[in-house]
Amino acid sequence: MLELKDISFRTPESGAGTQSPADRTIIQDLSFTFEPGSFYAITGPNGSGKTTLAKLIMGINELTSGSIIFNGSDISNLSIHERSNAGIVYGFQHPARFKGTTFRDLLSIAAGSDDEDKLVEIISRVGVCSLDFLDKSVDSKLSGGEIKKIELATVIAKNPKVAIYDEPDTGIDLWTIGPMVELLKREQKDNKTTTIVVSHNKAFLEAADTLLLIREGKIGYSGDLAGALPILEDLSVCTFNELCRGEDNAQCYR
Amino acid sequence: MLNAIDKQVLKEVADLEGIPKGAYNIRKNGALLGREVSANINIETNEKGDGIIIDIKPGTVNESVHIPVILSKAGLHDTVYNTFIVGEGSDVTIIAGCGIHCGGKESEGHSGIHEFQIKAGAKVKYVEKHIAIGAGTGRRILNPTTKVFMAENAQAEMELTQLGGVDEAKRFNDAKIGAGSVLLITERVMTEGNQTAESRNEIELAGTDSKTNIVSRSVIKGDSAQDFYVNLTASARCYGHIECDAIIMDNGINQTVPALRALHPDAELTHEASIGKIANDQLMKLMSLGLDYNAAVNRIIQGFLR
Ligand SMILES: Nc1ncnc2c1ncn2[C@@H]1O[C@H](COP(=O)(O)OP(=O)(O)OP(=O)(O)O)[C@@H](O)[C@H]1O
Ligand SMILES: [Mg+2]
Repeated sequence: MLELKDISFRTPESGAGTQSPADRTIIQDLSFTFEPGSFYAITGPNGSGKTTLAKLIMGINELTSGSIIFNGSDISNLSIHERSNAGIVYGFQHPARFKGTTFRDLLSIAAGSDDEDKLVEIISRVGVCSLDFLDKSVDSKLSGGEIKKIELATVIAKNPKVAIYDEPDTGIDLWTIGPMVELLKREQKDNKTTTIVVSHNKAFLEAADTLLLIREGKIGYSGDLAGALPILEDLSVCTFNELCRGEDNAQCYR
Repeated sequence: MLNAIDKQVLKEVADLEGIPKGAYNIRKNGALLGREVSANINIETNEKGDGIIIDIKPGTVNESVHIPVILSKAGLHDTVYNTFIVGEGSDVTIIAGCGIHCGGKESEGHSGIHEFQIKAGAKVKYVEKHIAIGAGTGRRILNPTTKVFMAENAQAEMELTQLGGVDEAKRFNDAKIGAGSVLLITERVMTEGNQTAESRNEIELAGTDSKTNIVSRSVIKGDSAQDFYVNLTASARCYGHIECDAIIMDNGINQTVPALRALHPDAELTHEASIGKIANDQLMKLMSLGLDYNAAVNRIIQGFLR
């Protein structure tokens, strides 16, 4: 069980001088409990705080206030690698590009073994990455979709108790989205992985047991997809009204 | 004929567990320790007696030649001039390198000049590793020079590595690349403590459709300093790229100066250079896979220098 208790994340407003400590609140007093073995989808507008929330759970961002309890113990002060080794792993929205480090390196770090058979087994379990990726350098030459597949595989290789995938479908081709959803469902079922997917993709929203809608750093809704639909529709309504209603502007600039 | 120190040095420099197979020339403390020639690869001392000539017959394929240098005598500063003649259409690997074992207070050094005449259609891989070990406090100095002359349609791949132990290094690479020929240089240098390393490169794309890619990877730890200079000159229709990356740790300092000079309207020259600390997103990624900070740093450096 992963409990977020009144967590907040504030950063100094960029551009603000030292005299004006105008902090910007990105996540505000957010509380939620992720049940073990469940599948969650997190969605919400760009800039609403989804990635920030995921990074707070992983320990990449430091909590401004509140606490995170994982299986009964407070992990708020644990470092990234301690949380990882406790079973929480995050797949980045924008994965790091290395120089020289290969997919094999990342997989063996995650799996804690460089045994060839074991790595091959992981790749075939993940399915979406081809075997000839293994000795590829994880660098800027990889395509957008390739690096996202590699990112996903490294999370799975760690056998996490809680897996957080940040927009795993970005750049992924039409033929892979379905298998990717299936894969995460299978991991959830076979290993009881608590699965949290940040996504705007209907395929993931539909696959989830519970949907979280983040708006302006807070949970705007949590529940099933059916219940979220009216709010999602509402969000898609143009918010540029005031701008367009000007007297001379007949055109929509959006 | 090899003592324990020799064996250790050979292992580090040339990945050898004893005497190599095929042609070789092992130099120790300024003198010949052992030599073997093959039907296609001849090695003999040059006229001046200050080095060797390695003559590879045209058409020699899948052969290798080892020419390691061992230095373990305090106060010795050894200089050699070796010439490699790589015959037409051959395909060979040359493993060079120098290992210093320093046991005392006096400095030890080696300055090796390697001249390559790579004939038409030849393909050569040159692997050169420099190391220095031993408990002595004397300075370990290595000043390698390579001069490369490539005829037409030849290929040369040069891997130049110095990963620690060397106090002072001044490298000079000079190359002239003929029509249709390709030269790939990868230099990897790690310095620490108060070590300094400098690499100067004068590369000329002389023939039509010649190509080069020059890669430099530097890791600068402690209070060490590294400087890297390349002058890439194009005098024909050609393609050239320079890629230099330096990772600074602790208080290291670095100067990277890639210079491009096109003397022909169809020259295509590019460069990328970066100097900085280990990228934060790389660290975060490895830590999120369970490595602590130090282990993550080590893995990133290991990959970078591979
Ligand atoms: N470390 C930080 N310092 C300052 N501002 C930040 C920081 N991290 C995030 N932000 C800001 O917080 C807001 C939320 O960012 P976040 O990346 O969490 O959004 P998101 O919901 O993941 O958006 P998207 O759907 O585009 O991925 C953004 O406006 C972003 O600029
Ligand atoms: Mg995001």
